[in-house]
Amino acid sequence: MGHAQNKDYSQRDYDAILRDGEELISTHCCFCGMQCGMNIRVRKEDQSVVGVEPRYDFPMNGGRLCPKGVAAYRQAEHQERILHPLIRKNGKLEQATWDEAMDLIVSKIQEIQGKYGKDAFGIYSGSSMTNEKCYLMGKFARIGLGTKNIDYNGRYCMSSASVGFNQSLGLDRGGTNPWSDIKFADVLLIAGSNTAECHPLSMPYIWGARDRGAKLIVVDPRQTKTALVADVHLNIRPGTDVALVNGLLHVMIKEDLIDKDFITNHTTGFEELKELVHSYNPAYVSEITGTAADKIITAARIFGQAKNGFAMFARGVEQHATGTDAVSNYVNLCLVTGKFGRKGSGVATFTGQGNGQGGREHGQKTDQLPGFRKITDPKAREYIAGVWGVDESELPGPGLSAFEMLQSLGKEIKGLLLVCSNPIVSSPTVGDVGEYLKSLDFFVCMDFFLSESAELADVVLPSTVWIEDNGTMTNVEGRVLRVKGVDRTPGESKRDWKVICDIAERLGRGQYFQFNSPEDIFNELRVASKGGIADYYGITYEKLDKMQGVFWPCPTEESEGMPRLFEDLTFNFPDGKARILAFEYKGPNERTSKEYPIILTTGRVVYHYLSGNQTRRIDTLRNFCPDPYVEIHPKLAEQYNISNGETVKVSSPRGSIELVAKITKITREDMVFVPYHWGKSLAINHLTNPALEPKSKIPEFKVCAVKLEKIASSAGEMHG
Amino acid sequence: MDKVLYIDYERCIGCRACVIGCEECSGHDHLSRMFVDELNPGETVATSPTPCMHCVTPACAESCPVQAISIAADGTVLSASMEKCIGCKNCTYACPFGIPKVDDVKKVMYKCDMCYDRTSKGRPPMCASVCPTDTIRFVDQSDLKNDPPKPVQFKWDFGGTIIETRTVIGLPDTEENRFGYREGDGVQS
Repeated sequence: MGHAQNKDYSQRDYDAILRDGEELISTHCCFCGMQCGMNIRVRKEDQSVVGVEPRYDFPMNGGRLCPKGVAAYRQAEHQERILHPLIRKNGKLEQATWDEAMDLIVSKIQEIQGKYGKDAFGIYSGSSMTNEKCYLMGKFARIGLGTKNIDYNGRYCMSSASVGFNQSLGLDRGGTNPWSDIKFADVLLIAGSNTAECHPLSMPYIWGARDRGAKLIVVDPRQTKTALVADVHLNIRPGTDVALVNGLLHVMIKEDLIDKDFITNHTTGFEELKELVHSYNPAYVSEITGTAADKIITAARIFGQAKNGFAMFARGVEQHATGTDAVSNYVNLCLVTGKFGRKGSGVATFTGQGNGQGGREHGQKTDQLPGFRKITDPKAREYIAGVWGVDESELPGPGLSAFEMLQSLGKEIKGLLLVCSNPIVSSPTVGDVGEYLKSLDFFVCMDFFLSESAELADVVLPSTVWIEDNGTMTNVEGRVLRVKGVDRTPGESKRDWKVICDIAERLGRGQYFQFNSPEDIFNELRVASKGGIADYYGITYEKLDKMQGVFWPCPTEESEGMPRLFEDLTFNFPDGKARILAFEYKGPNERTSKEYPIILTTGRVVYHYLSGNQTRRIDTLRNFCPDPYVEIHPKLAEQYNISNGETVKVSSPRGSIELVAKITKITREDMVFVPYHWGKSLAINHLTNPALEPKSKIPEFKVCAVKLEKIASSAGEMHG
Repeated sequence: MDKVLYIDYERCIGCRACVIGCEECSGHDHLSRMFVDELNPGETVATSPTPCMHCVTPACAESCPVQAISIAADGTVLSASMEKCIGCKNCTYACPFGIPKVDDVKKVMYKCDMCYDRTSKGRPPMCASVCPTDTIRFVDQSDLKNDPPKPVQFKWDFGGTIIETRTVIGLPDTEENRFGYREGDGVQS
C-alpha cells in the first residue's frame, strides 16, 4: 500500500514484468511536471536501453503513460546523439577533444570577463533538469563565474504563476494540494490548460471527480478534448481571462455565493474587489470575452455553490502581458468562496516542464537564491554565502530575465553558456534571437542532441540523457522525487553537473564545487534551502525512496513533508491572511487591426515537448505529428477561400510563416491556433509578441495580431 | 479471473499512447496492433481506440485455411502462428471490425492478442497499462457485463448476423451528443 500520503492516488496492484537478461530502472519520465513513474528496461550484458515497462506502483500515474512517456526511452540509443565535443572551425562544428573544448571555454570566459567584467558572461539554463543541476547552475553563476546574469527558460512558462501565487498566498507551490485531492472536488474550473494533451495523466483524477458527480468548467478559446467533456465551456477570446473572472466574481458576489466567514477571517482586500467587479456584469463581460452571458452565469453558480473545488490553470492564463493579474484573479475565485486547505479544495498550475517546480526554487532564477530566497534580501544573502563559504559581498545581485538576457547578447553580455534549453525555438521573435546569439563573442552549449540553438554555438559539449544520471525532480504538486539512471555515458558524453564542476576547477574555483555525486549536491541543497520557503532540509534520498516522494516544506529529519498546504488557513503573510487583489481588465499588449485582423494563439500537441528538440527526433512521435499547422474555423476559412490542406501564409508585424490549413470547428472564428514545437522556417515564434509581463517578465506568447493569405503553391516538403 | 478489455470512448483523448505502448509488449515484435480513429475530423476532436474485439466466434479464425489463428483457454483470439500463417489475408477480409493486418514482408498476419505474454502472467495488456485516461481498462468480464458503470455493448448486428465480443464498449452519449460522438452536427461550445 505504501505511505499514507499516497492512498488516494492512481497506483494499481500489479508488479512490473522483468524479462530475462534485463534489469529495470525505476525512474520518472523526462517530459512535463507530472513526473510519471516508469521502469526503463536495460539489457544487462551491454547496458543498452531497450524499452519501457509500466511502473504500476507509482502513485501519480500507476503505470499509465502518455505517448511521450512511452517513447521517451527511445532517446537513449538515438543515432543523432552528440557523442563528442564539437568546436567551430572555419564556420563548421567539428569533432574535438574534451581538453581542447575545455581549454577554449576557460580561456574565453577569462578573456571576456577580463575585458568586459564578470557580468559579461551569462548562463541561460533550463527547468527540465534535476534539482541538483538547477541548484548547481545558480551556484556556478554566482560564485564560479561571479556573474549576475543567469536566468532560465522557466521564465517563459512558470513565472507568472509564481508571481501570482506569491502575491496572493505568499508562497508559490504549483499545487496547494496533493493531486489525489482533485478526485474529491465538487467542481473543477480549468482555465487555459489543454489538460488532456499537455498533462494527460491528470485525466484519471479529473474523471475520478466526474465519477463522483463533480462538475467541470473549462475556459479555453478552443474546444479541446478537455473542453469537449466539460459541463460548461467558456470559449473566451484569448487574453480576456481577467475580465472573465471579474464577471464570475460579479455573479458570485451578487448572488451571495461567497464564504463571508472565510473572507473576513482569512483574507484582506475583498471590499476593493467587490467595488471593482461591480461593473463587470455578464453582458459587459460577454462583450469583452466573446462568450455567452448565460454560460458565465451558469459557471459562476456552479463554482459558487460547490462546497469543494479547484481553480486550475496553465500557460493559456499565464503567458500574457497581464499574466500575473490573471493568475491572482483565478486564485480569487477560491479565496472568495473559501475553497482552500481541504481535501478537494485549492488552486494549482499545471507545471509544463519536467522540473518546472524545483527549477524555480533553488537559485537559477536571476532574482533568487536557493530555498525560494530573494537575492536582494540581506539575510538570505548572508545565509547562502555562509553555506557556500564565501563572503556575502561576493554574491552578485539580480541580473537580466531570460528574454532581456537574449536581447542583451552581443551588447552587455558577450559570452553565453546555454544548458538544457533551445531559445531559438522557444522565444518570441526567434528571427531576432538568432541574430542575438550570432552576435556573441563566444557561445557554448551543452546538449545531447544538436538543437537549433546548439547549431549556432562555438563549442557544443555532449551531455547525457536523463536516464543516465541520478537526482531529484519536484513535480506539479511540489512532491520531490527520485530520478534514477543507468550507469553509463555513451561515447565521450559527460553528465552536465560534472562538466560544470570541471569548468569551476579550471577557473580556480574548484574548492566550491567538490561534488562527487548528485547526492553530494543534494545534501548541500538541503542545507541551502533550510529555513527558506521551499525547505528541503528534511528530505533525503532514502526518504524519497521510502515514501515515493516527499512534499516540501520538509524542514526537519523527522518531518514527512506537507502534502496539503494551508490546512490551518494561515497564509504566508505576517498577518496570516491571503491577499484578495483586484484587477481591471487591460487586455493583451497587441490588438487586432485592419491590417492584422485575426488573433493568433499558440500551444502544444500531445506528441511533442517544448521546442521539440527531443520529441521531433523520435520517429513514432514525429510520425503522428510531423509538422505544424494552422487551425482555422470554417467561417474564417471561407472568407479567405481556404480549403483544408491548402497552404496559408500567416504574418504578424514581426514575421511570417507558411503552414498547412486545418479547417476545424473547434476553434473560434476570430482566431487561429498554431503549435510551437518547430524551429527555423516552421517556428511560429517568428510571429509572437515579445511584450513582457511587467512583474514576471513572461512574454505574451498567447496573443498577437496576424493576417492570413492563401498561397497558391504548396509548401512542399516540410518535416521539421 | 476472467478479465477483458473495456473501452470507454468518451475518455479517449486520441493520444495514441496505446498504439505506441502496444509495440512494447514482448510478443509484439515492435508492431502495433492497436487503432485510434478520429471520429469526425473538422467537427470535433473526438476519437476512439480499437483493439481486437475478441469475438466469441471469431470470423478470422474460422476463415483461416490453415488454422493458424488459435483461441486461448480464456477466449483470447491470438495472433496467427508464424509457422502456420501463409499471409493469404482471408482473415483481414473476414473480420467485421478490420483488425488483422498482414506484414507484407514477412507474409504473416498480426493482430491484438491482448498481450498474451502479459495477461498470461496476470498483468494488464500494454494498452490498458499505459492508457493515460483510463479509456482502456482491463476488468472482470462478469462484473462488466452484469453490472456495467454505464450502458455497454458487446453484441453487434452485422446485417442480421449477431456477433458477440469479449471486448466491451462503454457507449458514448449520442442522445445529447455532449462529447461529439454523433456524426454530422458538430458540438456547440
